[in-house]
Amino acid sequence: MSNTSFPIPMLHSTIRIMAPFLLAAIGGLFTELAGMLNIALEGLMLIGAFFSVVLAAATGSLFLGVVLGILASIVAAYVFGFISLNLRANIFITGLATNLFAEGLTVVLAFQIFGNKGVIRFANLSKLPDLSIPSLQRIPVIGDIFIGHNVLIYISWLMVILAAIVIYKTPFGLRIRGTGSNPGAIEAIGLSPRRYGMYAILISGFTCGLAGAVLSLQMGAFVPGITSGRGWIALVAIYLGNKNPLGIFIACLVFGFAESFSNYAQGIMDVPADFILAFPYIITVVAMIAYSIVQHYRLKGSEG
Amino acid sequence: MNRQRVASLMSSVTGLFLTIAIAFAIVVLMILILSDEPGRAIYYFFIGPFTRAYYLGNMLNQSIGLMFTGLGIAVAFKSSTFNLGGEGQAYSGAIVATVIMLALPNMPGFVGGTAAIVAAILMGAFIAGLSGFFGMKWGTDQLISSFLLSAAVILIINYLVTGPLDDPTNSMLTTPRIGQQYQLLRIFKPSKLDISIVFAAILAIGTYFFMQRSHWGYEMRMCGLNREFAKYAGINVEKYLMVPMAISGGFHGLAGAIVVMGTHYRGLKGVTAGLGWNGIAVALIAKNNPIAVIPAALFFAYLDAGARAAMLHSDVTFELASIARAMIFFLVTAQALYGLFNSKKKVTK
Repeated sequence: MSNTSFPIPMLHSTIRIMAPFLLAAIGGLFTELAGMLNIALEGLMLIGAFFSVVLAAATGSLFLGVVLGILASIVAAYVFGFISLNLRANIFITGLATNLFAEGLTVVLAFQIFGNKGVIRFANLSKLPDLSIPSLQRIPVIGDIFIGHNVLIYISWLMVILAAIVIYKTPFGLRIRGTGSNPGAIEAIGLSPRRYGMYAILISGFTCGLAGAVLSLQMGAFVPGITSGRGWIALVAIYLGNKNPLGIFIACLVFGFAESFSNYAQGIMDVPADFILAFPYIITVVAMIAYSIVQHYRLKGSEG
Repeated sequence: MNRQRVASLMSSVTGLFLTIAIAFAIVVLMILILSDEPGRAIYYFFIGPFTRAYYLGNMLNQSIGLMFTGLGIAVAFKSSTFNLGGEGQAYSGAIVATVIMLALPNMPGFVGGTAAIVAAILMGAFIAGLSGFFGMKWGTDQLISSFLLSAAVILIINYLVTGPLDDPTNSMLTTPRIGQQYQLLRIFKPSKLDISIVFAAILAIGTYFFMQRSHWGYEMRMCGLNREFAKYAGINVEKYLMVPMAISGGFHGLAGAIVVMGTHYRGLKGVTAGLGWNGIAVALIAKNNPIAVIPAALFFAYLDAGARAAMLHSDVTFELASIARAMIFFLVTAQALYGLFNSKKKVTK
């Protein structure tokens, strides 16, 4: 990179870091609008991360790896949805179950296949292709920050736009929103809220699978618990983003920046690694509390 | 009236049985797929904990921490508050207790030990109570905030254990050893089972009476049943967003202290790992009944012990237990599974 002052690389990596948050949160937005608090985002992402990198290495194709990783995550989402909706289980508990299952399954499979519970590197894995547009990259600052990332980053942005269109401009999106805000009305027009709930869960499986693929393929490795709370942070981003795609994009940008900043801080200030890892959680919980305070007083204000 | 109660008990027992059977079936299936010696692995998974007194004692020992955390979750769930931060609360209790015992090397065991336990309880209660407080004051989602706080706390304690509190004479990631006088009496040597199992059982019974017979217990249960209704009945429902969380955190802090004093004698990195999530599983299986927490904790200790025995004696890994646990989580609240048997009963009534 031509620019040597630190904000530019930091913003550049912000864009890279925010992608998994963004994808998970956008999928979670569908379930949120359909009236479900989806704490399974974390586990679905973990499944996507594991299967995409392992299968990309096994098949020798990044594309196949991504597709199969997403598929694995969708299957897990289906199980989660089936038990929650069809067997009428408590969705918090099944969400926890999904997270615990993903944690257990990935470690068990890693151990049985690779004989290793630690970091699994895939040396033969090719790098995710970067999008390079030299003419745009030459634009100062903007070109440095936004151009030159791998293709999955841009796909994540496309997903946000796509999600916005689906949610606000299609009958399908209207029904998803109706499922959350007025399931009775959905039933009255002869549709099944349960089915639309399931669609929302499957969509979250899709985006979380992709989010996981971004994580592990960027690294070219699988690390146990690679998602490290990103699903939870994504969940908070949905609230902070006021349950709309643009808001979520901004919230994820903030979280991405916080993480990028803490990575950078580690480089110059010798902060212990555990603090760096704790930082996103702290920022998230503080943001969440601040948000609820604002909401609380706004609500009070409108009442008075 | 009585017949109805029996019927509902029957249906929950059969539903539970089905849940556990499915979870075990999945584990067996995974072993069959993954293991080169499935017979051996399955044998040790199910029978292993009973093959040696040492295993059995350790299994019983493992159940102690689970009883405490299970009770903590049962109290929270019974009051319809969600504490997902048990992992961090238990860990913080363990470390606070360790620090106090290390700081008081010459104190009589009872005095210093009590101080350590009280501090651990307060620490757990404080962390969980924070989530409760935010929820009470501003409506912050307790489920998410308790999880996030706990995740941050775990990492900060990891730093303390591997950094400032690390024992320089030991290559393990741990604090120094606590004094002899703080180590709880072992009652089934050579296993690690200690006297606190008696205390845990008494506490379970005490919690039952607290929830069923005390004023606070009554109001908490009312809030758990229906917060809106409880409000009209004149109960301070806001208070009971925070109180059950703090009590729940206190139980977790206690679990942490006891695990250090009874089992490890040190604040190891991740010394309480798994206690929090398992505590939720225990409470769910026990249907939030404090007395039922005792057998439920024994069951999950058995599950862990089985997985550990299978790992020691065959080629599978310990995390099989977490898969079984996850399956139980999946199915334990599935009403359809329980209704399966209920519907028949309704016809005859």
